[in-house]
Amino acid sequence: MDFELNEDQQAILEAVDRLLEQHAGPTRAIELFANNTYDSELQQALEESGFSNILNDMAMEEGKLAGLEAALVVEAVARAAGVCAIGSQIMLAPLLTGKELTDQALEGPVAICLRSQIEKPVPLRYGANAKTLLVLADSNSDDDLEVITLGDGDMESVKSNFGYPMGRLVNTSVSGTKLGADVASKVRNWWRLSLAIETVGTMEAALNHTVEYVKQRRQFGRAIGSFQAIQHRLSLCAIQVEGSRWLAREAAYHNAQDEAVANAAAFAIAAADKVFGESHQMSGAVGFTREFDLHVWSMRLHTLRQELGGLGGHRKAVVAARWG
Amino acid sequence: MNINFSKQELAFQTEVREFLQDYNDIDGFLSQGPVWPQVRAMFSAMGERNWLALTWPEEYGGMGKGHSYEYILWNEVAYARAARNPLSSGVVAKSIMRYGSDEQKQTFLPKIRTGEVHFSLCYSEPEAGSDLAGLRTKAQLNDAGTHYVLNGQKCWQSYAQDMDFLWILARTGKQEDRGRGLSLFICDKQTAGITVSPLPTVDDDQLNEVFFDNVEVPVAQRVGPENGAWAIIGEALADERHIQFPPGRVRRDLEEMVDWLNAQGLGDDPVIRERMAHLVSKVMEAEILGLRVLEAMEKGRNATVDAAMNKIVHTLTCQDIPRMVLDYGGPEALVNGYRPEQIWRQSIMETIGGGTSEIMRSVVSRQALGLKG
Repeated sequence: MDFELNEDQQAILEAVDRLLEQHAGPTRAIELFANNTYDSELQQALEESGFSNILNDMAMEEGKLAGLEAALVVEAVARAAGVCAIGSQIMLAPLLTGKELTDQALEGPVAICLRSQIEKPVPLRYGANAKTLLVLADSNSDDDLEVITLGDGDMESVKSNFGYPMGRLVNTSVSGTKLGADVASKVRNWWRLSLAIETVGTMEAALNHTVEYVKQRRQFGRAIGSFQAIQHRLSLCAIQVEGSRWLAREAAYHNAQDEAVANAAAFAIAAADKVFGESHQMSGAVGFTREFDLHVWSMRLHTLRQELGGLGGHRKAVVAARWG
Repeated sequence: MNINFSKQELAFQTEVREFLQDYNDIDGFLSQGPVWPQVRAMFSAMGERNWLALTWPEEYGGMGKGHSYEYILWNEVAYARAARNPLSSGVVAKSIMRYGSDEQKQTFLPKIRTGEVHFSLCYSEPEAGSDLAGLRTKAQLNDAGTHYVLNGQKCWQSYAQDMDFLWILARTGKQEDRGRGLSLFICDKQTAGITVSPLPTVDDDQLNEVFFDNVEVPVAQRVGPENGAWAIIGEALADERHIQFPPGRVRRDLEEMVDWLNAQGLGDDPVIRERMAHLVSKVMEAEILGLRVLEAMEKGRNATVDAAMNKIVHTLTCQDIPRMVLDYGGPEALVNGYRPEQIWRQSIMETIGGGTSEIMRSVVSRQALGLKG
């Protein structure tokens, strides 16, 4: 039994953290978010550093993707509040490389949604910036995947306070290449895994920010983090984050199997609701201000909670995987 | 990172499962007292295979295997509902190996290894539960210097009614010395002056009070140095973290609750299926956190925080699972002896025993988050 990262994985993490120190962080996220802008520089830096295709490039043997390595990168970018479609770029697009569609990685940013969400368009993460749109069937019982190349004017920007640039499809007659159920179910599982991993990184950053705050903030002559009422609640949040992290990494390690990814996503986004509420409550009034960076991560959690059917969708997938 | 058991470990798991086929109907995990003779017989059968000494060094007749083998064994036993891991081959034996005299090793280790003798831990007292360092049971050395004389009362002892020996924590120093004034003693339960009195529990089992009235314990049965028990019991606790809360228990709990709901025709209700999914997540969380504890122990890392997290998650999960049936199962779920209400009644105790949830939360907040005060 070994949960420690090996030397290669540790090196990946250190390298991506160095890159993110230069290209990401809450200050940059706030600047970009003010204009609903996508971080093309961060995406380019990740591509040039070879992280974008890590899922395939690091594969140790045929058919065995480097899920854990990809997950580490996605988790780190989420922790650094990168404004970049990292999940779809690293975990979804590489799955399609070499398919009948293309020999090249898909052009990013890549947005993703369910079929019903383009028939009745909803706001999508990075939708306004996307060059490619992946559309999955609403249910995996009749799974298919459509890969659509987007043109100018196909999407419109949508204002939202929930931490990501959003866009909605306006040209509902767009169409693309349809791929079969095998690819679709793979993409669905990796999307779930990506959501779980992004939630982990985002939650962890929100919790860390809160823990540092309660160590500094003094009331009644002592740090508020010295009160047991605060300590015990933050302990439960820490356990939720740890549980989410290891369930997600385990699912990544086993390369996105049905039950593991459904469970990782369900667990993480349920935890996210708890971490959101507690981190704001423990941060008091400053926690609701724009000058305190907590909102950079906390508001994102609610966006992540909506995708792929949300908590209900993930939990349905859990029981379907276990009990049919 | 490698979250898999080795081929050898998986082969052992298969062997354990085959062994347990003869003991699947004991049902001693949730309530051991009423079936102690059967549990004892199973431990003896395990002793014949030397499974009570899986991780013991070979010099003490052990198999010298890693913690993973103990984890696999007791996780399978928990899933089979057969029994809890015996404290004698864990806490007691490992402490004797570390701190006991040659005579204690020769007297007790072979009998513990074969399942011949069993111990009950006598730590808690009416006024010393979570605050164990405040305990008051006194062990006074007699004038001749040959015996300690024990006086006082212990409380909430598991299995004391059935065990052969008591493993007693008592005060040999001053009250104000707290943990620095405590010593450990081995005492035959038949010794004059010992009274074990039952405290019936809501799960139809029992805890016990143990009274000591001028009980004479030979000096040779003190384990480790006088006033040196605090470190010994801390290390002993650390020895057992990987098997204290085996996730096989909650996996089995969930399977049985789902079977019960299906039998009532409720298993397809979408509201119930949503709760089932939530509980799958909780069970899988308990499983992965349990493996985190195992890994920390295998690598010799301090597992205190991992174990505290695991304890909180495991014990809350085993309460959440039967609560699903009490929430949705209707009055039928309350019928005495049905699995849902039986598991529910037993699970209430889990967030208290072995360190309350509140103590565990303080461990996490102080040691993982660095919050002081």
